[in-house]
Amino acid sequence: MGKRMFSALVGVALLAMSSSASLAQAADQRLSMAINPEPATLILGLNLQAPTQTIGGKIYEGLIVFDKALDPQPSLAESWEISADGKTYTFNLQENVKWHDGAPFSSADVAFSLGTMLPQTHPIARTTLAVIDTIETPDDDTVVITLKNPFNAFLTALAMNTAPMMPKHIYEGTDYAANPANETPIGTGPFKLKEWKKGEYILLERNSDYWQADRPHLDEILFRVIPDEAARSIALENGDVQVTSFSDIEYVDVERFRSNDNFEVTYEGYEFFSPLMWIEINHRVGPLGDKRYRQALMYALDRNFIADAIWFGSAKPATGPISSTMKYYSADVPEYPYDPAKAEQLLDEMGLTPDASGVRHRVKLLGLPYGTTFVRTGEYIKQALSKVGIEVTLESVDRGTWAQRVAAWDYELTLDFVYQLGHPAIGIHRTYSSSNIRNVLFSNTMGYSNPEVDTLFDEATVETDQARLQETYTKAQQVLVDDVPLAWLIEIKFPTIHAKTVEGLVTTAHGVNGSFADVQIAE
Amino acid sequence: MKHSPFGFVASSSKTLAGTCLLAGLVVIALAAPVISPNDPWDMVGRPFTPPLSDGFLLGSDTLGRDILSGIIHGSRVSLFVGLAATVAALAIGLVVGGVAGFFSGRVDNALMRLTEIFQTIPSFVLAIMLVAVFQPSLASTITAIAVVSWPPIARLARAEFLAKRNLEYVSAAVSAGRPGWDIALREILPNALPPIIVMASLGVATAILLESAISFLGLGDPNLASWGYMIGVGRTVIRQAWWMSVFPGLAIMVAVLAINLLGEGLNDAISPSQRGGAKA
Amino acid sequence: MRTAISTLRLLSQALLIILAVSLINFALVRLAPGDPASVLAGQSGAADELYLAQLREQFGLDQPILVQLGKYYLQLLQFDLGYSYRQQLPVVNLIAERLPNTLLLTLSAFAIALILGVAFGVAAALNRDNWIDTAVGTAAMVLYASPVFFTGLMLILVFSVFLGWFPAFGSETIGADYGFIGQVADRLKYLVLPAVTLSLLYAATYTRLTRTAMLDVLQMDYVKLARAKGLPPFRIVGAHVLRNALLPVITIAGMQAGHLVGGAVVVETVFAWPGIGRLAFDALLQRDYPVLMGVFLISSIMVVFFNIITDLAYKVFDPTMEVS
Repeated sequence: MGKRMFSALVGVALLAMSSSASLAQAADQRLSMAINPEPATLILGLNLQAPTQTIGGKIYEGLIVFDKALDPQPSLAESWEISADGKTYTFNLQENVKWHDGAPFSSADVAFSLGTMLPQTHPIARTTLAVIDTIETPDDDTVVITLKNPFNAFLTALAMNTAPMMPKHIYEGTDYAANPANETPIGTGPFKLKEWKKGEYILLERNSDYWQADRPHLDEILFRVIPDEAARSIALENGDVQVTSFSDIEYVDVERFRSNDNFEVTYEGYEFFSPLMWIEINHRVGPLGDKRYRQALMYALDRNFIADAIWFGSAKPATGPISSTMKYYSADVPEYPYDPAKAEQLLDEMGLTPDASGVRHRVKLLGLPYGTTFVRTGEYIKQALSKVGIEVTLESVDRGTWAQRVAAWDYELTLDFVYQLGHPAIGIHRTYSSSNIRNVLFSNTMGYSNPEVDTLFDEATVETDQARLQETYTKAQQVLVDDVPLAWLIEIKFPTIHAKTVEGLVTTAHGVNGSFADVQIAE
Repeated sequence: MKHSPFGFVASSSKTLAGTCLLAGLVVIALAAPVISPNDPWDMVGRPFTPPLSDGFLLGSDTLGRDILSGIIHGSRVSLFVGLAATVAALAIGLVVGGVAGFFSGRVDNALMRLTEIFQTIPSFVLAIMLVAVFQPSLASTITAIAVVSWPPIARLARAEFLAKRNLEYVSAAVSAGRPGWDIALREILPNALPPIIVMASLGVATAILLESAISFLGLGDPNLASWGYMIGVGRTVIRQAWWMSVFPGLAIMVAVLAINLLGEGLNDAISPSQRGGAKA
Repeated sequence: MRTAISTLRLLSQALLIILAVSLINFALVRLAPGDPASVLAGQSGAADELYLAQLREQFGLDQPILVQLGKYYLQLLQFDLGYSYRQQLPVVNLIAERLPNTLLLTLSAFAIALILGVAFGVAAALNRDNWIDTAVGTAAMVLYASPVFFTGLMLILVFSVFLGWFPAFGSETIGADYGFIGQVADRLKYLVLPAVTLSLLYAATYTRLTRTAMLDVLQMDYVKLARAKGLPPFRIVGAHVLRNALLPVITIAGMQAGHLVGGAVVVETVFAWPGIGRLAFDALLQRDYPVLMGVFLISSIMVVFFNIITDLAYKVFDPTMEVS
């Protein structure tokens, strides 16, 4: 009895020990990169999770890519023309483009993706593509799109992540989400799926039929699923992975890699996202609707401290609603230096004077459940505001509750960080437009309403002259920064850390989500 | 039920040592606002300051908050949660065990089955689920700990009630026609209570350990700096700054040790027969 | 016959517990305030009501609670634990992938605790009241008061950060291409710290139990007689004493199985050990209901399984039980 039990236990132990298959080293040019969390799917037309974009970005392409200055460059569209009224877009497609299954890519696929599939399946495209009136395909290589009204962010809505091209011959007339073909993504990109071992790795291989001559350089890309921060950091150090991105590495550890000669740390390649972190303020709650209160918040917070001590340099203080990495950013706006005395003065003016225990106002801050750095930021805010007599109670919730409460306007203050998605008309208007006050996440949930801002944004949406557009956005930023609808804290600078031998990694505004067609590994 | 590894210390010296340590902790907790050099949340200095420098006895944390002040204030959280959760567990355990023991028969059977289930399931998993469901706060932490800690108390209470219900003075009360609840509360409970309270006092230590684990995982009340929370903050930077984890950990150990010593000492004093015995 | 009855009793008990646990966790996660649909949508970057409704329908969240409960039990009967919202994979797969790791960790920890506990318990009992006894007792006392995550961090600090002997995180060297022996050695290297961390608390308990049980047995007449006869101590200990001293250890080990599994959650988090405890913790933060329910159920079954093993072990060590 005892013996049998023992051998059973040994069996279990050996089974567990040998459970992991080893990857045979085959390819000459293989890049390996950490990925976290494991994506749910690689079908970019169905899912926008960060890891889906990173891996799907090698498999699928859009009509347009954006360079680091956020100017549009050719991808599947070789060139394009925009009519003078800004309503008609004519795209000439690249020739000799094939899907991974060998079928030719044509204007019919573009019409299907933009007109049929993505408006139903894609969280961003379902709003941005609503502006399309008609799509015509005069020949296989030409697409003519007419808009209902001019929309100068339209090209931004046609990038790899905002509108990936999906194969018509696979998806037409099917239940998109349940299509069995979702197991084997078919795109036009430089890499195709070779093997996916759930929980361990996703292996892509070179698409030898890729339409760009002599691309890609890499034979394989291996994405290793490593859920733990500390383990990712060790894997990068040991060379088990050569690239990490986004918040893969604890911000406190980034310095270690920066001072290591074998690694390079870059903050470029996140321009399309330009993540901005702020305290969202519910304007419906008592004094929070008063501009002076919100300005006091800005003066009371030391944004340099947040960037340096909490984000360990992977952030810089934000100056307003548009990140400095975005087009149309303006630094010519009112400033809010760290000045607690000024904050107290504003609160005094409002009649919020300290009670016996030194408290002027009590407010609740709903924490953003995205990890320890956000928790520390909340703790700092609590502490800093207590110095000016605002007593903050922190509320700690899970992601679901956070999303639900913000969408239901059931909060007083909350931390939030939002991607700006390449163009103010897509990523920024949605937060401040009074027409977008809705019970939906990433809308104007704070309930801010300013007719002047609405007018400026409406003008900007249809303005086709770049100089006048910049003027309009500069004005809008000045109005918003004076009004402080919400308290901008920092621009998050995600670090991409890679071995020095990896070349050509970050070439566009999409960074590690780009196609990697140009990446190679030096000897 | 409780197995502690201090058979080698005389019960009187255990009680003495435990009492002294615990008294010290209680004094620190009560006097925290007075004796603490800083507010535990205040960023009073440079982040990552090592111990014994820049006026920090035990160093500063990642935001420049004083570790010593955190430990002093954390004692309040640990002791309060330990005590409150134990009182709540005691209440649940007394009701369940008392009813089971007093009525016996089917009621007893059903309640003991329930107790058994709660004793079998992985209690820590249940505790963190509870805290998450009701959202992290002081109340949810206390509730969760109480919900997973009552079964041993219920078992002992049942045994005590079973043993006492057939004693002469209870039979006398029954034949005098006094109602059941009156007998249970006035006759049995006072006599059954001492060993139960001793056992519950050991539960305070377990509750402190549970609270620290919950806070360590980041599920504690975000407005309270507890010891487990501090270790959770220090965990990710343990390579760079050992002191952020080590000192709060030592504080937990001292508190748990103090209560264990005291509880053991009391236990020995009440039931000398168990001295050195391994009665489960 | 008697064995058959007691086995039946155990099985019915196991069934009852599984039933109760599934009911508890179903009720519990339904009480949770978070709406899983908005979590999913939130991660996609944008969401509107239509999209949320679509997601709810996709995951059956729009149906009445009782229908959901009925479906849940029906699925359980088919060993179907549902579908993870977050990872979009069957929960059974997620758990099955990680369960071997958790079993490896908990069983190793249990074995280490047993070996350490019995060895130190015997040593302390045979050296009663001298310095060895005191040293063992003090160490046990300290370990007993140390939270398991703290013990783990201290072991990382000493054996990984300062000495560099063992890796601090993970369960294997990622992508290493060893032979079978090399791979087992690699995994053992990663296993040491988490397994020892999880074992120490129980080692302290077992030490104390073994010591007192040993002392009791050593007082018995037949042992005294054997000693008087001049039998070598190891034979006395081996043949009579240890066997009896182990019984309480086994009893307690069975009773503490739930703690062991709960402890694994913390240890797996500290050491980034890819088991079901860590899976549960991640699921908790993301409100991934089906995964949470699955882990709670499977870990409860693990406890029942441990109980059955300890029960059998008890019978192996105590042949008198059959008669009494």
